[in-house]
Order: sequence, then C-alpha cells, then structure tokens
Amino acid sequence: MATVTVNSLTFTYPQRQRPVLDDLAVTFPGGKFSLLTGVSGGGKSTLLRLIAGLTPLPTPNTITFDGNPLSAIAPGKRAATVAMLFQEPSTQFTMDTVVNELRFALENQRVDPAAIPGKIDAALAFIGITNLKDRSLMALSGGEQQKVALAIIVAMDSDVILLDEPFASIDPPTRLTLLQKLVALCTQRGKTIILADHDLSGYDEWVDHLAVLDTGKVTLLSTEQTQQRFAAFTPEQLRLTHVTQPSSALTVSLQGSQLGIAQGKRQLIQPQDLSFFAHRATLITGPNGSGKSTLFRALVRLGKYQGTLTYDGTNIQKLSRKRYAREVGLMFQSATAQFLNVTVTEELDLSRRFGNADYFTAERVQDLLTQLNLADHAEQVIYSLSSGQQKKLQLLCMLIMAPDVLLLDEPLKGLDFASIQVVMQILTTAQRDLKLTLIMVSHQLSGLDDLITLHLHLDQQHLTYEGAAE
Amino acid sequence: MNPSLKLALTVFIALEVSFAQVWTVNVALIVVSLILMLINHVSFKRLLYLTLVPLFFSSTLVWSLSLRGSASPHFLLVIFTRLFVYVYMGGLFTQTTDPLMLTRSLEQNAKLPAKFAYGFLAAFNLMPKIKAEVATIKAAAMMRGQILHFWSPQLYFKVILAAMNWSDQLAAAMTSHGFVEGAPRTHALTIPLVARDWWFFGGALLLVQVGLFSGLR
Repeated sequence: MATVTVNSLTFTYPQRQRPVLDDLAVTFPGGKFSLLTGVSGGGKSTLLRLIAGLTPLPTPNTITFDGNPLSAIAPGKRAATVAMLFQEPSTQFTMDTVVNELRFALENQRVDPAAIPGKIDAALAFIGITNLKDRSLMALSGGEQQKVALAIIVAMDSDVILLDEPFASIDPPTRLTLLQKLVALCTQRGKTIILADHDLSGYDEWVDHLAVLDTGKVTLLSTEQTQQRFAAFTPEQLRLTHVTQPSSALTVSLQGSQLGIAQGKRQLIQPQDLSFFAHRATLITGPNGSGKSTLFRALVRLGKYQGTLTYDGTNIQKLSRKRYAREVGLMFQSATAQFLNVTVTEELDLSRRFGNADYFTAERVQDLLTQLNLADHAEQVIYSLSSGQQKKLQLLCMLIMAPDVLLLDEPLKGLDFASIQVVMQILTTAQRDLKLTLIMVSHQLSGLDDLITLHLHLDQQHLTYEGAAE
Repeated sequence: MNPSLKLALTVFIALEVSFAQVWTVNVALIVVSLILMLINHVSFKRLLYLTLVPLFFSSTLVWSLSLRGSASPHFLLVIFTRLFVYVYMGGLFTQTTDPLMLTRSLEQNAKLPAKFAYGFLAAFNLMPKIKAEVATIKAAAMMRGQILHFWSPQLYFKVILAAMNWSDQLAAAMTSHGFVEGAPRTHALTIPLVARDWWFFGGALLLVQVGLFSGLR
C-alpha cells in the first residue's frame, strides 16, 4: 500500500508559455481507487507520466511514494513501486509473445529464474488469460493486449498502478472484466490505483475518489462528494431516433458480395452480402476487436478480404488506385497516420489544394478552426498538438477533401464533451451540404442522433442493419 | 550451435573469403551451407530466392568485368562464387537462428550490454511494422491527392517520424516494465555455451584455413 504525494509540481511543455500543471499538490490515498478526470489535453497523461517516472521531473522530489522519491528507490524495485498501463494497447511491449514479455519484466526485477514460471502462471490466471500465454502480442486484439499489460503489472506486483485512458477503444465486456480485476487488486492486495479518463460513465460503483484536474490543479473529492458528483452525472446512451432499415429507393455505393474479413487465421466477419448506401451516414457498432477497423482497411484496399467489392458497380481491384483513393477516403483511428506535413496551416493548405475548395473557402476553414479551438495553433507543429487537437484537425483535413465516401474510424476518440458537440455539428452540416456518404465506427455514443440514419451492428461475425422498416 | 558463436563464425569466414582468392573453398562453403539449409528445412521458395538474386548480380558483375576489364578467368570465378558464399552463409544464419535466442545469447554469452541486445531485438521486430507503415503513409497521401514514390522525401520524413515515435514508445514500454539501463538482470532462460560449441567453432575455422592454404599452394 503506497500513498502517492505530489507537491508543488509545475510542468510546462517545451516551447509553450502556459504551464499545463500549475503548482499542483495532491495526495492519492494508498490502497484506494482514484479516478483522475478532466478535459482532454488538460494534462492527465502528463501527470501520470511524471508519476510513473517516464517523464523526468522538472524539480526533483516533487512526487513521492510513501515519502520516497522514485530516484531514491533501487532500480530493480522501481517497477514494483509504480507501473503504468498505456492508452494505446499495442505500444507497451518489447518482446514478441505474451510469455516472453512477462519473462522480460520479471528478469528486470531480478526475480530468481526458478520462480519466474510460477509467477507468470499466477498472473495470467488472476486476469483469466492463461490461454493467451504463447500467443503473439501483435496478433491480439486491443482488449486482449490491455489484459496482458495488466497481467504483467500483476506479475511485477507494483504497488501503484497508473492507467491512462485504458478503455479508450475497449468493448464493454472487456472493460467490465478489467475494472473488476482492478478493484480486486485494490481491496485484496492493497494496490493504489489511479485511472485517468475524461468520461465519467460506468465508474460510480467502482472508484473511491474522484480527482478533478482543472486548469493545472487537482482537487481530490471525498467519498461523499464523489458519489454526489456521480449521482449528478447521467451516462450517455446510444439514442438513434432517425434510424430505419435501408429502403429500396437508396442508391448502393459500395457493394460486397460474399464479403468476408479475416485477420491471420482468425475469421472476423463471415462471408456475407453487404451494401453501403450513398449520401447517407451509416454507423457501425460492435465489440472491440470484432473487425470493424479491419473492414475499413479492406474497403480502402489496405487489407485483404474474401469475396468481391464493387464501387458504383465496378470491382474496386479494377479501378486505378489513385482514382479510388480520391473517391473513397479513410479517416484513420490514429490521427498522426493522416498527416503529411509539419504545421497546421500546411496540412490544411494541402487538403484545400486537392479537395473541395469551392465549398471549403478560406473563410469557412478559418471559421471552422475557430469553432474547433484551433485558430491560435495555425503555425504550430502538428506533432506538438494534444491528441484531441490532432483528432479535430484530422477530421477537418479529411472533410475538406470531401471524397464521395468518407470512412471515419473512431472520429470522436479522446475528445471531451464540448469538442464532440462541435465536431458532430460540423460533420452533420458538411454531410447535408455536400451529400457525402459517411460510414462511421464509434464507441463514443452521444451526439450522433442528428447525423446517423442507418445503423449496422456487428455481432457474431455478422453485420446487420438495425431499426424498423421505413 | 550457440547463436553468438555462430554469428562470430559466419563473420570470420566471410571476412577471410573476401581477402582470399580460392574458388574451391568458395564452392565448398556454398555446398556445406546449402546442405545445412536443406537439413534445417529451409523452404524451397526461400532457397530459390537466395539463388536467383545473387545469380543476377554476380552474372552482371562477371559479364561487365569480362567485357571491359582485364580480369583473369580465375578471378571472375572467385568473384562469381564469393557473392554466393555471402548470401548462402547469411541465409543459413538467419534461417536457422531465432532472433530472441540470439539476443539472449549476445546478452549472456557475449556480455553485450542489455540495452544493445534488446535494441537489436526491437529493431528486428520493427521490420513488419515499417512495411505496414509505408503502405499506410502511401494510402494516406493518395487520399489527399498526393502520390508518394519510394524516392519521395515526404515518405522518409513520415517513416523517420514514426520510427522516432516508436523509439520513444519503446523506451517508455521498457521502463514501465522495469527495465533500467545498466542495472543487473536475471535470465529466465539460460543459453548454453558448451565445449561442443567451441570445438565446432574451432574445427570449422581450421577446415577453412586448411582449404585456403592448400588452395593457395
């Protein structure tokens, strides 16, 4: 059980005027589950990375564990003091397979080789993923990777467990399992847990304290205050009032015949006939790791698929890559994958040069930038923007391109409530004005009602249109 | 055979062959490598690839040398076979060595600092990621109306950026899983370095020396 104390911590990003953490002082009680919340880009990740020792402290000894700074703890004991689970599941491993990664972590702690196999088996059994032991890490779904990452922390027996938006792209059942395991670690093993999430929904029965990060300072709420705050918060729900079955009057844009999707040897979507309809906004939902992103990659010819796919009646393999890429575009889940230039202005200029500059005039783009709170960042290097700002810029860039079909893979990921409202309004207006075909995958459920008219649900390896007949 | 010693043997022989001009030794090395690859079930497709690529380059090299230069037929034969020695021995090494075992061996037997050993492994694991990244960058550019070729600076800018990002992520991942530069570690698996490895290493080197000396006359 370790108490984490932060004392007068001020942190400013390089080349930035305003500190993101401003004379911050907070004590995270030992053996408790604290939820750190605040707007995206508000410094939650930065604070966690500073606690974990991944970012060097600007002034030494401002963060202590039971009174000891991390630098005073022996190297072999640091991972037993604090460990972190990252937002992006696939980026937290060094080795190839689950068992090798666990060995690597235990070797670093100088665990006796004879004790390593036992510890590995116990940790995997605790999380309930013994069957994944010899699997390749890269072949696992995001949810499975997060479970493995937690199993490693269990094996390392870390006193303080930090989690940075660990459920950002995780399906509800996996999230529930992980939360149950975290609470068990808290109550049975006395671990101190600090989890960062901008979304409060689904935490009320699990956490002890809310820690609110606002304008560089953290306020830790008491248990009563925490419960009051949760009671005042109503969880978002998928409420789609305009969704109907596709009518026969609709034009088919993309048509799959016996379209199937596999990842390696794992079949994700069984071969089926599937139509996507032109000038409509379609939402695709389904559990994480079920193949939605893989389907999108197949639709833009970045991945393999079974069966045939036609666009406006022509097999997409027969179309020139160049032409097809301009007509069917993908907004990648990872924002940085989309960018080709250095500054915000350069990136927007590129889109305007080849995109729909008639509609997206300089004035309109400037207005949209202001709405998205990006107007002050025009000359900034894209890679120094926060992840939420990158996501908003990415959406704007792809919207300006205005391809006939725009696939959006988690366009609202990591955005705070206010940003979601703005983004959805911009998307809805552009879709109506330009009659775009939008196909969207989102775990974020609020704010979609105005836009979505068709809803595909992926379940049991099959996609079905939801809603009543028109 | 112990992976570190195998690597050392391959490098030693390759180095010697590049200074010596004995084509019989080259042919012997090619045959031995080929037999060992066949014993180790290297796929036919891979063998064909390992043969056709050097065949093209050594043929063009020999052809141009015989047209323009004053090289003797003996020298041309040495040059022709030498390229095959490199490729076949390299093929034998990579096809019969598990990168993780090599990493562990370099760390444990060759006493290479863990930072370099795992850095090497991470670089190896990055290969498929780089390939996928290049495909994604090209597609992303095409969707924005730009065609990137393999000589486009923007492609390299993005790949280097991605690699820098990965190296940061990797450093964070290693730190978070308890890796501290220069700190002692234990080893879950011990890579044996036994007398037999040394005998094999010495024997193979000796055989090559004998071949080279008798070939030089």
